[in-house]
Amino acid sequence: MLNQMERDGVIKRYAIGGAVGATFYLEPVSTLDVDVFIAFKPQQESLIVSPAPIFDYLKQFGCKIEGEYIVISGWPVQFLPASGPLLQEALENAVEVDVEGEPARVLTAEYLAAIALQTGRAKDKARLLQFIEAHALDRTKFEELVERHQLVNKWRDFQQQFLNEE
Amino acid sequence: MKSNFDFERIWKSKRALRQRLAAAPIIEKLRMLDALHERAVAIRGARFREATAIQEKPGSYGDRKEKTS
Repeated sequence: MLNQMERDGVIKRYAIGGAVGATFYLEPVSTLDVDVFIAFKPQQESLIVSPAPIFDYLKQFGCKIEGEYIVISGWPVQFLPASGPLLQEALENAVEVDVEGEPARVLTAEYLAAIALQTGRAKDKARLLQFIEAHALDRTKFEELVERHQLVNKWRDFQQQFLNEE
Repeated sequence: MKSNFDFERIWKSKRALRQRLAAAPIIEKLRMLDALHERAVAIRGARFREATAIQEKPGSYGDRKEKTS
């Protein structure tokens, strides 16, 4: 469905993030929704970003709207604009993974971890810890992102709190 | 009371299970995610019915992030 949306020009580019994205690199973790980061078409960029065109498109396929979510194949999906430098870069560098013959674009482990660090809720910290414990991160790439996106202080605090490093 | 549990062994086996699951084919992991999702929805439904549910704070990414200072 997401690939179809891209082909039909409803969105410019998408990538799966959040817990579902993390599942491509880690053990599956229970989640209630799917986070999909999107870039809008150029003509939409100057307008106030609204999910309405996406919802209208998906309604044609029988998808139901539940608040800020749209239910696709039984999953509440939240479309999130890739706003801010880290998310924009994460979306640009997302990778395609083959899922039973169907390509799915997913954020890389390093970007998922950096976003978790930036977002900073308890469950994001837990996810970051999972990435580290599973050795699923290229630490050099991750630390480059941390530096480039002004997350050094957050990373230092995280290390002190959870990794006994520094 | 004295415990006979070998926690070191338990942690080791948990770690091994997590590694096995992480290394599983993606389609298998997505099926597991589906099952976990169904369970989470059922549990959440039950908790909401009790009207004592603690609601999770929604995510705030990028520019939507809250100002902290």
